[in-house]
Amino acid sequence: MGLEGVYMPLFVIWLAPLVGAIVIWAFGPSLRTWGGPIGCAAIAVSFFATIASWGDATRQTVVGAIPVVGAHQSIVTWAKGFNLGLLWDPLSLTWVLIITGIGFLIHFYSMGYMSGDKGYARFFAYMNFFVFAMLTLVLSDNFVGLLIGWGLVGLASFFLIGFWYERPSAVAAATKAFVMNVVGDVGILFAIFIIVAVVGSISYADAFAGVTAHKFSSSLLYLACAMLFVGCAAKSAQVPLHSWLPDAMEGPTPVSALIHAATMVTAGVYLIARCWPMFAGSADARELVGIIGGVTALLGAILGVAQWDIKRILAYSTMSQIGYMIMGVGVGAYDAGVLHFFTHAWFKAQLFLTAGLIIHALHNEQDVRLMGGLRKREPFAFWSMTIATFSICGVPPLAGFFSKDAVVYDTLLRGHPELYAVGVITAGITAYYMFRMIFITFFGEYRGEVDPSNLGIRHPEFAGTSAGLAAHPHDDDPHEHHTPGWIMVAPVAVLWIGTIFAGLLNVGGDNSLWHKLLEPVFGSAISYPEGTAPVSELVSSAIVLAVVIVGIAIAYVRYGNAGALRDAISRLREESVRMPAILVNLFYFDSAIDALFVRPSRGLGFFFGQIFDPLVIDGSVREARVSAVWLGHLFRSFQTGLVRAYALTIVFGAAAFIVYYAIVAVN
Amino acid sequence: MDVAIANYIGLSAVIFMIGVGGVVARRNPLVMLMGIELMWNAANLAFIAYAKAYMSNAGHVFAFLVITVAAAEAAIGLAIVVIVFRRAVNVDVDDVSVLKG
Repeated sequence: MGLEGVYMPLFVIWLAPLVGAIVIWAFGPSLRTWGGPIGCAAIAVSFFATIASWGDATRQTVVGAIPVVGAHQSIVTWAKGFNLGLLWDPLSLTWVLIITGIGFLIHFYSMGYMSGDKGYARFFAYMNFFVFAMLTLVLSDNFVGLLIGWGLVGLASFFLIGFWYERPSAVAAATKAFVMNVVGDVGILFAIFIIVAVVGSISYADAFAGVTAHKFSSSLLYLACAMLFVGCAAKSAQVPLHSWLPDAMEGPTPVSALIHAATMVTAGVYLIARCWPMFAGSADARELVGIIGGVTALLGAILGVAQWDIKRILAYSTMSQIGYMIMGVGVGAYDAGVLHFFTHAWFKAQLFLTAGLIIHALHNEQDVRLMGGLRKREPFAFWSMTIATFSICGVPPLAGFFSKDAVVYDTLLRGHPELYAVGVITAGITAYYMFRMIFITFFGEYRGEVDPSNLGIRHPEFAGTSAGLAAHPHDDDPHEHHTPGWIMVAPVAVLWIGTIFAGLLNVGGDNSLWHKLLEPVFGSAISYPEGTAPVSELVSSAIVLAVVIVGIAIAYVRYGNAGALRDAISRLREESVRMPAILVNLFYFDSAIDALFVRPSRGLGFFFGQIFDPLVIDGSVREARVSAVWLGHLFRSFQTGLVRAYALTIVFGAAAFIVYYAIVAVN
Repeated sequence: MDVAIANYIGLSAVIFMIGVGGVVARRNPLVMLMGIELMWNAANLAFIAYAKAYMSNAGHVFAFLVITVAAAEAAIGLAIVVIVFRRAVNVDVDDVSVLKG
């Protein structure tokens, strides 16, 4: 529906967080503790506007015999085919609901978590700006608007990851995230070049119409999809551009929840779901996306097994779950991939915020080896974490079960048994490392007073995050154990609803609420293919559940039974010391990137800085000076100051002229 | 009485060379100015001679122009000489070489 006039609610949804960010930014120092409520209010306004205009997103109209869903608002046109506008359809609605809804809960939680931090107002300005950037990304109706949002999200993540800028490791992590995200931005830029060259327009609708009309040659379409996927891989932490994600845990915990659960990392899933007609037209591109998604899911899960930092365990679980989503949208199961995004946002936000409760209560201790026995001290956190863990493991009837099973089964339905195997195995590993975390953190005896070296922590001063936490302002809190206030507990309690029930949306196959919501966007692409799978969905679910139970059982035997809990200290030390080098070094991805890109770049920099610039650039300037001096010496020797010499020169010159012309005349 | 043009030109050349010799060989600025005047007038003579030979008025016009410029030159030259005399008692143009490179 091409909307006449200005559709105000959409602008409210889009710009309220920006207004909040600008207000807090401009008046931050004088607002003090009011920064938090203002930031929350901005997101709340956006959220309620989303709810209020829900109907417009799902309304179906017919424009010139073509069924169209949702609303479209153009903002500015500066050339034919170059319109910037907003798009309001079920897909953007889904994302905006999560961004503003869960974003609001995280903002609310932050009012408690960040209280007392000297950057309190600055934090909320960044958070609001982040939400605005993400809304720009998902509301845009064209590739350029998408890229603007894409870049702003990268910038906002840089601000937030480097929030505690006194810590060198936080700054390094922020830089790493930003640089890797820019790699993705460049990928999308190239995709835009291709699309504009072929269809002469930047809008999604024109690009997809071009695909349908076969304007793209198959290799060009593959290239465009692959370039888009480079952007997705960087933003959504897919192999081999994933290594910024765990490092990004340097930011405050609510940031991790916002970036890594609800918003930023799912942008890649959004892009592929949004550009599904392009990916639908290129089987090779779908193959690439599916395989990378599967590899990421598996790799993230394997690395999750080897982590000791509670936030890093969750970070790798995020990476693994995003792998599932990418795998889902890669094989063509767009609804399942998007559903997994939807449910994941709930339970992962819950996991992160609960981890924040624990970290807050333990004075910023993040190393699970120094936790233990928290079940009695923090019963709310224990139950919250346990429910979210069951959900992420895909135990019915929690939300994660429906979405993960849908993704895994769809890979089989759409003819990718190898990805199905990856999905099932990853589900088992996920169950193992999540319950490993639960058992180590919540059961047994509290190990906070144990000497870290007895637990195999090699650098106790760097326990937890790689930085040590000296910079965190809560550290000088004198009281031993503070129970989190209702401001931090309430948002987590709200998240329980989604973590438990969100999956029910997908009950009923093609008639489910979820399917009905997204069908206008994806059309028949998400209808269940008929009878191609070797096993029924019920059998598949049983297989996945069996593997999950095996994973939980292994975790119980290794960490949870009475004997393991009694010898927890020696066992943890043993495991820390014996950890295989390949896992400690995270499969050497960082080293490989360092060797392949960072060091050659440094070498190039050294060449230009130390050799090319002083010798060639400076050298040529210096040579020019020397030549000028030499020429000056030459010419000053004529300046004798003797008038007679000048006169004689003139005479000889005149004589030379006369002789020359005499000769010319003769000839 | 018809005198061949070559005679005038030859006389002009001789006077001109005398002027050049005066400028190049002498160090007294007044004598050098006199040499310059000789060169002006040699040129004038050549102009007039050619004007007569080719029955053209252009030569006469140039001659008047040369006289004017020569007068201006003499005025400036003498002014310079006066300034130079003020600076030094013993005047030698070779000593006035402040602009030496």
